[in-house]
Amino acid sequence: MPLQKILHVEDDESIRVIVEMALVDIAGFTLTSCDSGSEAINTLEHFTPDLILLDAMMPGMDGLQTLNAIQKLPQCQGIPVVFMTARIQQQEKQEYLTAGAIAVIEKPFDPMSLGDELETLFQDHVSATR
Amino acid sequence: MQTPAIPDSEQQRLSALRDTGLLDTVPETRFDRLTNLAQLSLGTEIVLISLVDSDRQWFKSKQGLDACETARDVSFCGHTILGEGIFEVPNALLDNRFADNPLVLGGPNIRFYAGVPLVSDGEKIGTLCFIDSKPRTFTDTERQIATEFGKSIEQEIQDRLQDHAHQQLAAREQMYRSVLEGTKIGTWQWNVQTGETVLNERWADIMGYTLAELEPISVDTWLNLLHPDDVAESDAQLEDHLNGKNSFFDIKCRMKHKDGHYVWVHDRGKVVTYTDDGKPHMMYGTHADITQQKLGQIALQQSRDQLYKLTQELPGVVYQYQSWPDGRNAFPYASSAIKDIYGVTPEEVLTDASNAFAKIYQDDLTALVDSIQHSIDTLSVWELEYRVVDDNGLPKWLSGSATPERMPDGSTLWHGYIQDITQTKEHYLKLEQLNHQLNIAQQSLDLASEQAQIGYWQASLKHGTLWWSPMIYQIFGLNEQDFSPSVSLFKSAVHPDDVVKVEQSEDQARITGIHNVIHRIIRPSGEVRWVHELGQLVSEDKNPDLIMIGSVQDITDAMKLQKIKDDFISTVSHELRTPLTSISGALNLLQSGKIVSLPEKAQKLMDIASSNCLQLSRLINDLLDIEKLAAGKMLFEMKPLVMPPLLLRALNDHQPYAAQHNITLALLHSPQINDATIYVDEHRLLQILTNFLSNAVKFSPQNGKVTLSALVIDDHIEIAVQDQGSGIPDDFKDKIFEKFSQADASSSKAKGGTGLGLALCKELIGAMNGSIGYQSEPGSGARFYVRLPIMK
Repeated sequence: MPLQKILHVEDDESIRVIVEMALVDIAGFTLTSCDSGSEAINTLEHFTPDLILLDAMMPGMDGLQTLNAIQKLPQCQGIPVVFMTARIQQQEKQEYLTAGAIAVIEKPFDPMSLGDELETLFQDHVSATR
Repeated sequence: MQTPAIPDSEQQRLSALRDTGLLDTVPETRFDRLTNLAQLSLGTEIVLISLVDSDRQWFKSKQGLDACETARDVSFCGHTILGEGIFEVPNALLDNRFADNPLVLGGPNIRFYAGVPLVSDGEKIGTLCFIDSKPRTFTDTERQIATEFGKSIEQEIQDRLQDHAHQQLAAREQMYRSVLEGTKIGTWQWNVQTGETVLNERWADIMGYTLAELEPISVDTWLNLLHPDDVAESDAQLEDHLNGKNSFFDIKCRMKHKDGHYVWVHDRGKVVTYTDDGKPHMMYGTHADITQQKLGQIALQQSRDQLYKLTQELPGVVYQYQSWPDGRNAFPYASSAIKDIYGVTPEEVLTDASNAFAKIYQDDLTALVDSIQHSIDTLSVWELEYRVVDDNGLPKWLSGSATPERMPDGSTLWHGYIQDITQTKEHYLKLEQLNHQLNIAQQSLDLASEQAQIGYWQASLKHGTLWWSPMIYQIFGLNEQDFSPSVSLFKSAVHPDDVVKVEQSEDQARITGIHNVIHRIIRPSGEVRWVHELGQLVSEDKNPDLIMIGSVQDITDAMKLQKIKDDFISTVSHELRTPLTSISGALNLLQSGKIVSLPEKAQKLMDIASSNCLQLSRLINDLLDIEKLAAGKMLFEMKPLVMPPLLLRALNDHQPYAAQHNITLALLHSPQINDATIYVDEHRLLQILTNFLSNAVKFSPQNGKVTLSALVIDDHIEIAVQDQGSGIPDDFKDKIFEKFSQADASSSKAKGGTGLGLALCKELIGAMNGSIGYQSEPGSGARFYVRLPIMK
C-alpha cells in the first residue's frame, strides 16, 4: 500500500508552505495542513490520512497533547504519527517515541528528500504492523 | 717440822697426775686388792696409795686408815716424791723432819714410814706408802717387795687408763653408730694396702642393692658404680688425700643405682692407720645420699639462671629497693639493666642508692621522694612516671612500679620494675599533636560539609551498621535526636519514582564498588529535594567489614539551575531552528529548479544563501552537542565495529563536496584492519571523520588530494585524514582543539567553519576512550588522526 494522504499539523506558516511544496509539488502526495492541534482533531472528523506529520512545539495543544487526543479517536487507530521538531534533545525524542510516534524528524529538514523519508517510514511501519 | 719442798717439774707432775683421772674417784678393787696384799705381805698397819696433789695428798686406796686425805705440808709422801727409790723413816720421833709432825704427835701416831714413788708419764705423781705406829726398818727383801708392789700399782694405773680409753672409744663408736643409723649414712672401710673393702648395708641400700647382691665386695665395687665422668675427680681427690695435701678424701659424685639411674652421693673418708713404714693402711669413710639435695640445688641453679636470663631480656630493670628509717637506702638487688635506666651498675648501688638518686631530673625529685614516703606510710604499691638525666644531659622518661613490704628491722623493701618509656611518651605526645590536627581537619571538614551541603556516611555491608554526619539529617529534614540512621529510614525518604534508579545504582555498587546516583527525596514536611549520592567501597583487601563510605549532597539548587539552562538551550535551539527550517527549506526548493527555474545570477546567490544556511545549522548542532557533552547528557550507543564499511561510507558521503572543490578523495588501509574490531558509537565516529574530511577538503588547494587511511599500530587503530594544504601555523598549534578557534579570524568567513568542530571531535573521541592528534609541517599539509583501542 503506497503512501498517499498526509495530514500536516504546524503552527508556523512558512514551514507549512515549504512542507506543502515538498510533499505535494516534489513528492506528489495528497496533503491537508492544519495550524493547530485542535484544528487537526476537527479535520480528522472528516479526513482520514495515511500518515500524520505533527509539529512538537505549538501554542495551545502541543504535539504530545495532540497525539494523545488523536490516539483517542476511533477512526485514527493505527494511523502512524511522525513528529517534526527543532528540539533535538535525546530525552525529548525518546518522550515522543514512547508516547507512540513512529519517528522523529529534526528541523531543519531537507525538503527535497522529505517525501522519500516519509514514504520509507510509512512502508517500514506497514511491514512491521502487518 | 720440815715442810716438803715443791719439785722443779711441779706443773708437769700435776698435769701427769690429772691425766691419770684418779683423783676423787671411788675406791677400786684393782688397787685395793694390791694394797691389801702388800699389807699382808709386809705386815704394816697402814698401806696407802697416796696421790700428791697441789696442796693435799689424796688416797686412792687405803688399808688401815679412815681418812681420805691430809694436807701436803704435813705429808711424808711429799718428801718421797722429791727423791729416787724408797724413802724410809724408821722412827719419826727421832727424826727432826717429822718429830713435831701432827701425824706423829697425834693419830695415826706415825713412827715408821716407807714410801715407794709412783711414776706415770715420767712424773712422780704419788706413792705407795707403808706406815706403822711402832718404829721399824725394812729388810732388803721387804724393800724389794714394796718396790714390786709399787710397779704393779703403776701398771694398774696404766691399765686403768687404757681401759678408760677403750671405754670412751667404745662409747664414741656407739654414738657414731647411732648417728650413722639415724642419718642413714653408709660407711666403708678400705685397706689401702690389700684392697680389702667393707661396706655396710646402708651403703648398698643407697645404691639399690643388698650387701649380698654386691658380693664379692672390693674397691672395684665402688669404681664400677661410679659415673665415668666422675672417675677422674675421684682419683684426684684420693691422691690429694693420700699424699697429705687434703686432710680428707671428699667428693660429691654420681653413682649408678641398681635401677639404672644415677644417684648423687657425698663420700668423705680419711686414712686412720698407717703401716709401720708410714704407708696409708686403713681408710674409713661415709657415703651419703645427697640426690634430693643435689637435684634441689640444680633446680635452684636452673631457676636462678632462668630468672637471670629473664631479667637480662627485659628492657627495664628488675630490682629490690630498701629504705631504712634512718634515711639510708639501697638496691639490694638490681638486674644489669639498671645501667641503662640510671647509668649505674648494680654494685654501685648495692649498699647505697644515692648514686641513682643523683640522676633524677631536678623537677621530678620532690614528687619521687613524696611518692616513696607515701608508699612507706601506707604500704601501698609505688607507681610513678618521672625523668632522669642521662650522661649526655638529656632527660629520659621512666615508669616505675613496686610492691613494698615491711622488714623486721623497720625498713621497707620494695620488689619492682622500672622501664624507659621515653619513646612511648614521645609517641603519646605526637599522637596528641596528631589528634589536635585531626580535630582541626574534622572541624574544617564539618565547615566545608555545611557550606557545600554535603553530608557523609559510613556503612558496613557486612554488619548492616550505618553512621550519618549531622548534615545528612539536615538534608533529609530530620531531627538528629529523634532518628538513628538506618537503611530503611533512608529508603523511606527516596522519591517513589526514583526507587528503582537508586536500587540499580546499589546493585552496580556491589559489582563495581562505586555508588553514584542523582535522585529525589521527600522530606517529612513533604518538600522534594534533589540529592547526589556518591559512595565507594573501601578497597577489599584491607576491608574485612566491607566498609562503604560516601557522601550525600543536596543539589536541589543546582538542579533548578540546570533545568533553567536546559530549558534555555532547548528553547533557543527551537527558536533558531524554526526560522532556519523555513529558510533552508525554501532555498533548497528554489535551488532544486523543480518549483521554479532561476536565472544564472539568481542561482549563484541562492548557492551563497544555501551554503551559509547550512553553516548556521551546523553551528547550532555543534553548540548543542558541546553542551550535551558538558552536561554528560550525550548518549553513546557503543557497539563492536569493523572499520572498512564505515570508511567507505565517510568517503562516499564527501565525494560530491570534494568534487565541488576539484579535490580527489583516496582511501588507504592495511589488510590487518579487516580483522580489527573497535568499540565505538558508529554515528559519533562518523561525525568525527566528517569533520576531518570536510576540513581537509576545505583547506586543500585546487586539484589537491585528500587521503583517508586506517592503520593498526600495536593494540590501536589509527584513522587519519591527510591533506595537501598549507599546514597549521605554529602559533595556532596549542589551541587547535579549543572551542571557537580557527587559524585566523578571516578563515571562518573564507572557509565556512564554526570553530567548534575539532573541539567537539576531541570531546567525542575522549568519551569513546580514544585519543586525537595531528602532524603538520607548514606548507606540506596536515594529518589529523584519532586512535581507538582494538577489542581483544
